[in-house]
Formats: sequence, C-alpha cells, structure tokens
Amino acid sequence: MDKFTIIAAICGIILISFSTGFYLAINEESEWESKLTIIDDYGRDVSITINPQRIISLSPSTTEILFAVGMGDRVIGVDEYSDYPEEVKDKTKIGSYLTPNLEIIISLKPDLILVSDMTSKDDVAILEEKGLTVVVLAPRDIDGIIQDIRLVGAIGNNSAEANNLADSLEQRINAVTSKTSNSNLNRPSVYIEYYPYWTYGPGSFGNDLILMAGGRNVASTTITAYPEITSEFLIASNPEIIIFTVGYHASTTVEDITNRAGWDATDAVKYNRIYTIDDDIMARPGPRIVDAFEQLAEMIHPELFS
Amino acid sequence: MFKIDFEKKRIKRKLILASLFCALIFTIIIVTMIGTMGPLGGQGVPEKIPFKAVLDVLSGKGYLWPDVYETIILDIRLPRILLAVLVGCALAVSGTTMQGLFKNPMADPFLIGLAPGAAVGASFSILLGISISISIYSTPFFASVGAMLTVFAVYIIARSSGKIRVETLLLTGIAVGSFLTAVMSFMMYMAGQQFRFMFFWMLGGLYRASWEVVVIAFPVIILGVIIIQLFARDLNAITLGEEPATHLGIDVEMVKKILLIFSSLIAGVAVAFTGIIGFVGLIIPHMMRILVGPDHRILLPVSALAGGIFLVWADTVARTVLSPTEIPVGIITALCGAPFFIYLLQKNKKGRFVSHAT
Repeated sequence: MDKFTIIAAICGIILISFSTGFYLAINEESEWESKLTIIDDYGRDVSITINPQRIISLSPSTTEILFAVGMGDRVIGVDEYSDYPEEVKDKTKIGSYLTPNLEIIISLKPDLILVSDMTSKDDVAILEEKGLTVVVLAPRDIDGIIQDIRLVGAIGNNSAEANNLADSLEQRINAVTSKTSNSNLNRPSVYIEYYPYWTYGPGSFGNDLILMAGGRNVASTTITAYPEITSEFLIASNPEIIIFTVGYHASTTVEDITNRAGWDATDAVKYNRIYTIDDDIMARPGPRIVDAFEQLAEMIHPELFS
Repeated sequence: MFKIDFEKKRIKRKLILASLFCALIFTIIIVTMIGTMGPLGGQGVPEKIPFKAVLDVLSGKGYLWPDVYETIILDIRLPRILLAVLVGCALAVSGTTMQGLFKNPMADPFLIGLAPGAAVGASFSILLGISISISIYSTPFFASVGAMLTVFAVYIIARSSGKIRVETLLLTGIAVGSFLTAVMSFMMYMAGQQFRFMFFWMLGGLYRASWEVVVIAFPVIILGVIIIQLFARDLNAITLGEEPATHLGIDVEMVKKILLIFSSLIAGVAVAFTGIIGFVGLIIPHMMRILVGPDHRILLPVSALAGGIFLVWADTVARTVLSPTEIPVGIITALCGAPFFIYLLQKNKKGRFVSHAT
C-alpha cells in the first residue's frame, strides 16, 4: 500500500463524484405552468404566465419599454442605470446589469424579469436556475424594437396600448423615410462618435439610423460593429457631418473635435456642420430611438425637415 | 532540551490549526448574517435579515420567518459562502505548492499559463454563447478545458527526455501565458458588445455560486488538497534541492508531476467557476509561512484554512459594501491583501518569506 495506490483510488473517487455532480446538475428539470410560450432575442423558448404583476427590469431600454406601454406601475425593481422616465427613481434598485443582486431580486418575488443583451447568457442562466422567468429583449434593428414593444404588450395583457405606441412609432419613422428614401437624394457622409474616436460600424443601430436618415456612414465597412477609428481614416473619409453624443458618459465638446490635428481639413469642420445628440436616446434600444432618428434626419437633411 | 522544543512546536502547530478551523466555522456563521435584500413590502429601501432569523434558519426553525428568508440564506448566501471557502482553499494550497515546487516566491497558481488559458476558454464560450445552449455550465466547462489544455501544453513543451526542469517550465509558462493573453485581448477587442462580459469574467467573482456548483467543486478541490497533503514531506525535500531529494529515495520527477497536476486541477476548478481571483494564491502562502514556517506538512493545511477565511471575508465586502451593486472580488483581494502583505514583509525583513529558506 504505497502512496500511488492511494492516489489511484482518490482519482477514481474524484472522477465518479465529478461526473455524478454533472449528471445531477444537468438532469434537474423544472416544471412550467405555461400559458404563453415565446422565443426571446437570445433564441430561448420561454414560457410566461400572461399578465405578470411583479416585473423587474435589468436594463434602461427594457425599463423604458415597460413604462412606454403603460406597465410602469407593475415594475417593482430596476437596475441602477435605469433613469427614464422620472418615476423610475422611486423603484427599488437591484444593482447593475453586470452583477444583479440575487438577494434583492429573489426577495422581491418577481414573476417576470426583462433583460437586454447587457446581461450575459451566463447571468440569464443563473437567474433561471433560481426559478425565475427571464425574457431577453435584444433587438438588432428598429423593427426589432417595435416588435419587442408589441411583445411586451402581449405578455402584459396590454396589447392595445403597446400596439398604439408601436403604430405611432412606425408612422413617425415612415414620415422620415418617405422623404429620405428618394433615390435622387444627395447622401452626405456622416461620422457619429459615441466616445472619442469610437464610432458605429455595420450591424450597429447608429449605422442603421444614418442610412435610414439618408446619410452615408463613413465607418460602414469596418470589421466590428463598434470600432475605434484613427484620425487618418477620419480625415481621409472627409465626413460632411460630424455628430457626437453628449450625456453621462461623454464630455466631448465642439472645440475638442475642431482642435484635433488635421480634422479642420474635413468638410464638416470647414462648413461647421458639427452636431450633438443625447447619448441615452442614441444608445438605448427603446422607444426613444425614434426621437434620435428624427433628430439625425434633421441634422443630415435640414432642407427636408424644417 | 531539543526534544522539549520539538514537542512545544508540535503543540503550537496543532493549536494554530485548531484555532484557524474554529475561525473558519465562526466566519461562515457570521458572514451568513451579512447581506442586503430587497424590501419585502415593495418600494423603498432594502431590508436586512435579522441575525436571529439567520440563526433560526440555520438551526432548522426557518418556518418562524417569511419564506423568502430561507430561500435567500439557504439558496443564495450559503452556497456562495461555501464556494468562497473552497476556492480560497484551492488557490492558497495551489499557490503554496507552486511556490515550493518552483522555489520561487513570485509563484502563484496561475504561474504556468492557467489564467490566460482559462480566460481564452471562457471568452470562447461567451462569444459562441448564441449557438450553443445556454447553461450555467458552459462557461465553466470551456474555462476549465482552456486551463487544462494550456497547462498540458506548457508541460509538453517544457519537457525534455522525460524530465522537467522547473526553470524551463516557468519560462514556458510565461511565454505561453503572454501568447494567450494576446489572443484573449484580440478576442475582447473583436467582441464588441460582449466585451464587458469577458472583462468582467476576468475580474473574478463568486456570484455564479449555487448548490450544484458547490457539489461539483467540493470533491475535486477537497480530494486534490488531500493528495497534495500526502506529498507534503516530499515537497519539503524538493524545496531543499532536487538532488538531495533523490538521495533521500524520492522519485522526484513523479512527485513533481503529481503536484503539478493536482495543484493545477484545483486551481483550474476554482478559476472555472469564479474567474480569475488574484492575490489569494500569492499572499496567503507567504503570510502563513511567516506564521508557521516553511514546513509544508503544517504550511499546506494552515494555508488552506486561511485562504478560505480570507476569500469569504473578501467576498462579503465585495457583495455588500456598495450594495445593491457588487464589486468584483479580485479588486477586494488585492486592495486588502497587498497593503497587509507589505506590512508583513516590512516586519520580517530577514528574508524568511523566501520559500526555500529554513
């Protein structure tokens, strides 16, 4: 009986207990009493009891959607970045979307948790493992946002209000695109910056909004959706319009832009076409993105919208 | 005279072990009482669970209190605290072993590429998350696979004619680690929206705890720690020099291999479930070496207990100090650990902290 025999035995025990643990963990099934099954934006099948009354929202965009479709009074907890509309300030804060506080969430006994893609799949799995119902709203484009608004209305038995909102948003979008989709339209090149030198590339909301508003995105061929660009690239692409976001995260000023070496060679700086837009309405995939869209369209085509 | 000293030393060691064990139990009970939950009534400020309620729930009288107390204490806090104990214990033991094995005071559990390997694995899982099923096990699984593959690769590269020189192993570990860190950085750069999940994973945290995770981690870590303990005497000999150890009749290559495998295994399991929690595996062994000396027979169990206690307290700070928000625990371990460590070094300037000094 030497040490190596003991080790062999112990390894055996480790292997067996390890695999048993995994087996037990994987085979644990939860039972659902379902009334509505939906596929959410992470592609998960979720069974939801219709008409939830205790909702927690884990991201600013889902909070804005809930309030916009008239379900704000059922929201019992929000993440700490949710700050719109004003009534949100009275709701219980459940931590940030990166580390939702499980103790607070469970003690609030929610019957539905709405999250965006700010919450990782791992964290969604953790919440579900605690027996909570989670729906992910992570729209990829404006149509997706409008669909999600209708979906939230359907879940909350508030379809009439949600569909009204969705219809009016669609009308506002169409009112703009009917003018900007004209093929004879001059399409100025646009650079939107959400953080110094960081911009919206293909596959991002910013890129979609510029195109729909009748502009050309200078960063439309980058590899990533939210790329960092160089001064060289920017000067070479010579945008006619420069837009930067202002808000909590951004402290850029017009002087910052015009003082950047070489940027004075761009048409945007030469003809003073530099604009600002609110960070929150640009970045959050909620109903206010239509406000951002209208503002962008006005900046890009002042001759069409006065 | 010598014999009396020896006896005294043994009693002192047993006392230290026993008191650390009591401290651990005490810590677990105290820490279970600390936390913030939501307001039970609906809107308003978060409430705290009364201490009495915690004691009642722990002693099986939870029915005296609202149901939600029991859920929070038994399903949220306890598994998290126990996972912190296990992970702290694993990191400290792994760090002690690595420091002894490499005869290097800078050694820690992540020395031979374990952390970047796990990080690449985890990032892979996070990036692929859409196409594979969502489960709390997918990231830990990929992280542990990444960690194990890396350690294995480092071992294979560093091996020459069946032997392992620790210097080669260390340098190979650093090289492979840097390479994987670059891969990791590139993945983060390309990840766009998912960047923050990877970054956050790297900072480490115990919020993924659940009973299932504890059930998986417990046997691996405890048995790994026991196996390493079986080789404490051999590790002592190796720290004094590999040649003298061979003359003592120890199969040095075999022992090195076993110690490497199991210290990487327990650290790998810890990393898989909690991300990269730095500093525990580096400073706890040093602190304990100052306290009980370099004999691994006592150093290993003492480090295990101290690592558990330290990480539980660090995690308690992490989850409560900015409540309802949580701070990554790795920030706390470094913030609290580093100054205290510097203080200890200042007090013990004779160089006793170097692992092979006696």
